[in-house]
Amino acid sequence: MQREIEMRGIPTVLITVSPEVSKQMRPPRAMYPRGFKIGNSLGRPEMADLHKRVLRDALSLLAGPAHPGEIIEFEYPEYGAEE
Amino acid sequence: MSQLSRKCVPFTPFDRELGRATIAIVTAAGVHRKDQPPFNIADELGDLSFRVIGSDTQANDLMVTHHHYDHADADRDINVVFPIDALRQLAAEGVIGGEAREHVGYMGYTMQLKRMYDETAPQIAEEVDKRSRADAVILTGG
Repeated sequence: MQREIEMRGIPTVLITVSPEVSKQMRPPRAMYPRGFKIGNSLGRPEMADLHKRVLRDALSLLAGPAHPGEIIEFEYPEYGAEE
Repeated sequence: MSQLSRKCVPFTPFDRELGRATIAIVTAAGVHRKDQPPFNIADELGDLSFRVIGSDTQANDLMVTHHHYDHADADRDINVVFPIDALRQLAAEGVIGGEAREHVGYMGYTMQLKRMYDETAPQIAEEVDKRSRADAVILTGG
């Protein structure tokens, strides 16, 4: 999906919580918020500031150095461990 | 068109200022508007359709239909898979130029990968390109 949009000339960034799977797809740009579970790509419910931070970090990959095919990890301690 | 090697990574440079860019969200998390038909989770092969989510949509106009991940959190707060409020906040703060005209939701689980690649993916890309007019796209899985 991502590759198809990119091939149209539209830059894309993937937020993945399944980095091993996503890596096989060779994403042009991708980030993995470490430790976030499936269903929580941006964080937990009502963590609005965290959602914004994750989104902002994903968008930052657009302007930064290119790492095609790689998943860049980000840490967000406020996500917290599994309950 | 010649076959794109799986090892090849298509890459479109982002050559504008983020503060002047419009951003669309494309999610595989089964997000759709409540007034749209839900994804067909009874279809064992996986529903290949997609939904267009207009920029006039509010967070609580949305819901998830997907049977391959636990979306209890998304049911409480759609932003955990479809960060619409976060995107709008970033637009209000001038971090991004704005929200694109449309976003797209689809149901990423499928047993028909080839059809998803050959049919759905180009259709979504077309939607994003021609109607959403996004300068860049954020994709989420779930």
